[in-house]
Amino acid sequence: MKIDPATLKKIKRFQSIKRGYYSLIAISLFIVLSLFAELFINSRALLVRYDGRYYFPTYGEMIPGRVFGFDYDYETNYRELQKRFREAPSDDWALMPLVPYNPYENDLRQDDYPPFPPSFTEKHFLGTDTIGRDILSRLLYGFRTAILFSLALLFATYGVGISLGCLMGYLGGRFDLVFQRVIEIWTNVPVLYVIIIISSILVPNAMILLLIMAFFGWTSITWIMRTATYKEKTREYVLALKALGASDARIIFKHILPNTLSIIVTFAPFALSSGIVALTSLDYLGFGLPAPTPSWGELLQQGWSNMDAWWIASAVISAMILTLLTVTFVGEAVREAFDPKLFTTYE
Amino acid sequence: MKNAFSHATYLLTVFLLLILSPQHTPLFATPEIPSNIVWLTNDQDPLFSDDTAQKGGLFRSAVFTFPLTFRTVGPDSNSGFRDAILGNQLGLIGIHPNTEKIIPELATSWAFDPDKKTMYFKLDPRAVWSDGKPVTADDFTFTLEFMRSPHIVAPWYNDYYTQEIDKVIIYDDHTLAVVAKKAQPDLHLRVGINPTPRHFYGVLGPDFVTQYNWRIEPNTGPYQMSDFEKGKKVTFKRKKDWWARDNRYFKNRFNVDRVVYEVVRDMTVMWEYFKKGKIDTFGITMPKYWHTKTQIPLFENGYAEKIWFFNDTQQSAQGLWLNQDKEIFKERNLRYAFAHAMNIEKVIEQVLRNDFYRLEHGFVGYGRYSNPSVKARRFDIDQVARDMKASGWDRGPDGIYVKNGNRFSVEVTYSIDEHTERLVVLKEEAKKAGIELNLQKLDVSAAYKKVMEKNHDVAWMGWSTSLRPQYWEHFHSINAHKPQTNNITNTDDPEMDKLIDDYRDSLDEEKRIALSLKIQEKIHEIGCFVPTFMVPYVREASYRWWRLPKVPGTKMSGSLFDPFGSTTGGLFWYDKARHEETQAAMKEGKTFPPVTIVDRTYEPK
Repeated sequence: MKIDPATLKKIKRFQSIKRGYYSLIAISLFIVLSLFAELFINSRALLVRYDGRYYFPTYGEMIPGRVFGFDYDYETNYRELQKRFREAPSDDWALMPLVPYNPYENDLRQDDYPPFPPSFTEKHFLGTDTIGRDILSRLLYGFRTAILFSLALLFATYGVGISLGCLMGYLGGRFDLVFQRVIEIWTNVPVLYVIIIISSILVPNAMILLLIMAFFGWTSITWIMRTATYKEKTREYVLALKALGASDARIIFKHILPNTLSIIVTFAPFALSSGIVALTSLDYLGFGLPAPTPSWGELLQQGWSNMDAWWIASAVISAMILTLLTVTFVGEAVREAFDPKLFTTYE
Repeated sequence: MKNAFSHATYLLTVFLLLILSPQHTPLFATPEIPSNIVWLTNDQDPLFSDDTAQKGGLFRSAVFTFPLTFRTVGPDSNSGFRDAILGNQLGLIGIHPNTEKIIPELATSWAFDPDKKTMYFKLDPRAVWSDGKPVTADDFTFTLEFMRSPHIVAPWYNDYYTQEIDKVIIYDDHTLAVVAKKAQPDLHLRVGINPTPRHFYGVLGPDFVTQYNWRIEPNTGPYQMSDFEKGKKVTFKRKKDWWARDNRYFKNRFNVDRVVYEVVRDMTVMWEYFKKGKIDTFGITMPKYWHTKTQIPLFENGYAEKIWFFNDTQQSAQGLWLNQDKEIFKERNLRYAFAHAMNIEKVIEQVLRNDFYRLEHGFVGYGRYSNPSVKARRFDIDQVARDMKASGWDRGPDGIYVKNGNRFSVEVTYSIDEHTERLVVLKEEAKKAGIELNLQKLDVSAAYKKVMEKNHDVAWMGWSTSLRPQYWEHFHSINAHKPQTNNITNTDDPEMDKLIDDYRDSLDEEKRIALSLKIQEKIHEIGCFVPTFMVPYVREASYRWWRLPKVPGTKMSGSLFDPFGSTTGGLFWYDKARHEETQAAMKEGKTFPPVTIVDRTYEPK
């Protein structure tokens, strides 16, 4: 693939902004890590050797305890299995992930009540929440939910926004006028309230929440794209294209869109972080994803009402700061790298 | 046209009132009291107040929201604050909180008619309204007129006072009879109505709702509202020469001079108010408060005290209500399996700190009407397996039971945030047993609507209680398979119907008790309700100058520091000497030994 020298220049410039560059690496790493979270943080063992056979329980169907010689039909407790193997020396062994807890299970104890503080011996590196669930586990799985959610939201809103904005700017006239009014009305709807009302009636699963938020979230990028297209449309190269007889589709997709790309790319990281914040605040208020989905907002809520369990609030707040900061750094660097003032001159 | 018509009705009403009201009616002969009745009173039951109680002091309490109106009927009137207003309205008779026998309130004596529909009352001649007007028999007639009036916009009261109460008969200013529509056991619970001041309301009009929003109704109880700042606070003042202050069961009660309710919108902030001493007591029934949040110097230094008081009262039927109209719960084995998959004990032990008790069935605490031999099904994975096997279900690849492609996966609808932590533990345990719970938290009214329309699989909720078990609403087939009834399990069982009908029709107490026990067994057998928790106690924190009787409450006490309420309220008092002592000690940094009282007088065995 050949990269346009102008784009290459932009990428180079982006790489030279170290803060943003390393942030991008970090956030990508987080995302990849969270996509394979099951391998690092899970109650299922990575690998079990039992009676000469090997088992890989991480992905796939649940293996009942009976298979490994327990007397129950529900999912094997691999922590106990590992303990049993260690106590009675044999060739059998089990390899557990770094944190041997999944985000849903309650690690409750006799005569002691959660939240439990961080403990290395229990492998609750960030402690547990008020019902004994591992915080690190909930943080990572919650991050996955949040980031995938905001990415999906980003694609949905940008998909609608870019196509509609381009059309408005390019076609102009009555089409533009009508949608301008629609957007003006749309932006006056108090989104948060609407979501709260809807999710108090419906079960707010991820899909529904995404639809609602995309339904109200497409306006701002549409506005921006409309302006950008308008600007491009009046420039000479478009005029030249028209004179050469290029079709509207060709003009939009081949020429105008690539020229407005810098705007889209510049806004994307900020949209991503606002998506995370929106989901977190909804969860915090109790109108987000249904329990017991791991979520940062729910952890934040627990932290607020249990201030004395400092490890809950501090873990989730640090995680939020870290994520939002890296995303924002990336956004800043992208903006700087794509700054048109560096490469173009106005007539 | 409409105007002219309503004008005519109005005139007609006035005319009818003129000829019908007793003062002006020589048209009818005065009714006679039957001679075959026996007048009863009650001056023998034990007292539950403390004779060392002193009068005086200011009691500061907090409410979450300012009431939307001071009316006790009509739109927006059903708020918590209503209890404070109604707590100062006496009825004809009361119930002794420990013996449950009838005790006098506005009536000094009463008598039952053999028809089991009519009860006679003699009013206390000293009884007066807070504005000085005497309470007369006519005020009870007015209660019927008032409660039946369309202008109060209270359909429930309209209906109740039409369907349940037939009429009030006046014999003279201080003698009356209240007649119920049909003969019934426990007649006194129906006909011991409250008076309504005719001189205050006059003729009701269509503007009643707005006109009386902020008017303070005269009352007959120990306090009257004296002052309020909308949105901020309400003050009640004790009546110094209250007409009933020397009555046997009211003596040494209602001791503080003034009660102030301040609006504090948040529980956490309210707790801070208490710690700062801006409110005097705080309910700490929740485990979090009792065990953790009270581990602070305020209690360790003995300035504030903790009390755990066991009461013995009707327990709310809290638990999981299975909708038998859903395919999965049509089969009894599956209902049993579901019950055995609920690890309520684990939740009690490891989440609720062993503070809650297992509710054995839906009607605990109703005295002889409760069946002690009915025990809730316990968590038992093997039993689940047997029940499921018997119906031909097997565990699927993810460990959840399946049959013909159907998974045993049900939705649990609930509405209280604090309950999430109990439900997630149940969910994890149920998964082990092979049943999947999907938690669906809805806003209170949305959840209520869903359940009332019978769209739920499983409803996680509790019912309020009444003095006697009510079965017809919840388990009679007449209320099944249709929306807006309380039969949310859609129980439809001819045998059950028969039992409930007999229970409702019977006037014989012994027979009713026997039927009640049988119905509870039947409910258990049907298995449509999985009882969860009960909290047969109340826990409170108070500053040490607030004093309580030796037995700090009654069997029926829902709160120890309830300033009003003729049945259980107003037992505490203010100890000035201790207040001054404590304040001085706080200033000097002196401490007292910490106090935690646990009163087990009425603890369930």
